[in-house]
Amino acid sequence: MSQWRPVLLAIAAVAVAAAGASTLLLMRDGMAVESALMLSIGPSVLFGFIGVAARYPCRAMPLRSTSTTRILLVHAGGAVVASAVWLAVWNAWTPSVDSTTMFALGVALYALTVTMHYLLLELDTSRQAEEAVLRYRVLAREAELKAFKAQVDPHFLFNSLNAVASLCGSRPDEARQMAQLMADFFRQTLRLGAQERISLEQELDLVSRYMAIERVRFGDRLAVNIHINDAARQWQVPPLLLQPLAENAVRHGIASMVSGGAVDVSAVAEGGLLRIRIENPADPDRPAGGGEGIGLANARGRLAAISGGRARLQTSEAGGRYRVDIEVPA
Amino acid sequence: MIRAVVVDDEPLARDVIREFLSGDEELEIVAECANGFEAVKAVTDHDPDVLFLDIQMPKLDGFEVLSLIDRSPVVVFVTAHDEYALRAFEVHALDYLLKPFSEERFRAVLQRVRGQLAARDRTPAARLGSSLRGKPLQRLVVRSEEGAIDVLPVARIDYIEADDDRVLIATAGRKVPKQQTIGDVAGELDPDRFVRVHRSYLLNLDRLEKIELYAKDSRVAILRDGTRLPVSRAGYARLKELL
Repeated sequence: MSQWRPVLLAIAAVAVAAAGASTLLLMRDGMAVESALMLSIGPSVLFGFIGVAARYPCRAMPLRSTSTTRILLVHAGGAVVASAVWLAVWNAWTPSVDSTTMFALGVALYALTVTMHYLLLELDTSRQAEEAVLRYRVLAREAELKAFKAQVDPHFLFNSLNAVASLCGSRPDEARQMAQLMADFFRQTLRLGAQERISLEQELDLVSRYMAIERVRFGDRLAVNIHINDAARQWQVPPLLLQPLAENAVRHGIASMVSGGAVDVSAVAEGGLLRIRIENPADPDRPAGGGEGIGLANARGRLAAISGGRARLQTSEAGGRYRVDIEVPA
Repeated sequence: MIRAVVVDDEPLARDVIREFLSGDEELEIVAECANGFEAVKAVTDHDPDVLFLDIQMPKLDGFEVLSLIDRSPVVVFVTAHDEYALRAFEVHALDYLLKPFSEERFRAVLQRVRGQLAARDRTPAARLGSSLRGKPLQRLVVRSEEGAIDVLPVARIDYIEADDDRVLIATAGRKVPKQQTIGDVAGELDPDRFVRVHRSYLLNLDRLEKIELYAKDSRVAILRDGTRLPVSRAGYARLKELL
């Protein structure tokens, strides 16, 4: 109902215009104002109904997606029909009326009606577009928040604190160092997480801080190689896009291997395309996890959001290595 | 003297337990292990009184280690994950230490260990527990008579066959024996996937190609690799219900 209110108001305005214009016409022919007004009311109200009907062809032929010729043709037809009806009513009502002028007035009123319909429809469309943008922003924000929550794994925190507690007894200097590494990592996570975009270099710096902590825990079982080419350094990405994936590589990869292995991260930008690969050894006998984890699903969603669906994220496993491949077009 | 084995894949996590135990004159660490395989071997070799056991480890998790050992040490789980506490009690663990833990908390645990060792009648509790677990197993672990450990992901198991008091697990073209009854194994696996088609056969539904009528009231299941398994009348009813 709410969408009809402006339409009905517009039609009422057209009817008032019709009544006003025809009253003036009749007065020009020497009629008294009261009689002219009385005579005009009937046909004008009727024209109002014609005006309501005109909404349908307008809605069926949106301005943006219909050819001008078609719009002009249909509405020319509409104008003729509407004016003919309008004139016929006038003739039945007051045979003395000047047919040519009255027909011309009908065409003008029809044109006014159509213009109002198109204006209202445009307003509707732009309001819907605005709503869509708002809804999209809210969704994007929610995805960011989820990504942020997902990335701080409490077990990572507890295990790291356990390492600090252990070092306190035997190697207090290293305990202090580990506490510092953890503080730096969490501070950096909060700082970068608050920004909309960060450079890939900053993101990989965060990854290496994370790996430094894991290296204290896993010792020789974890090796880390991070490679980035110069062109990729300043590439802008959403914060914490890769860190959760690096965390997966340790949690599901290295932690499942008796002798550990290396996590390889590489980011190469070339010819307007950014390629990122995160690779880790994986135990082929590990119990099957329940589908795609939250880290991977989130990365996928955020990549789609920044690239309008053009970025790709693929996972593969071969020869005991698990791989996440990301491609982002400029 | 109390003899202890410490199992954790992180060296620093073992360090802190060793440190807390070092002040105790009546306690001795006989082995430290970095993964489940080592743990099974160490427990078998040393028959310790107490086992400090991490849960998430490569290859075998803490629960799988317990299901493979036929000794019965007092078990104390040591982990950063609180979500396994219920399962830990099902396998009759004495305590559940959450990392990081204080020295006071650790001392209290040791006190309980002593009490338990003085009172206990050393029944093999852990084995009992393995079949009590709520979630279906994702893999079966088997120890051969020579002590080698086999980890068999359930997705790769074709079927399981009863053989006296043990079962033969048909997987990847071989048959691996495991000292367990077919009923017990069936209870541990996902009932929607493994169907008791016959008193002596437990079939992985993913492997089933078709069922043929063999004689009146007697059917045979034909697997993808051509293996034929007998299907009893009750087994056929169970199959029909699932398919």
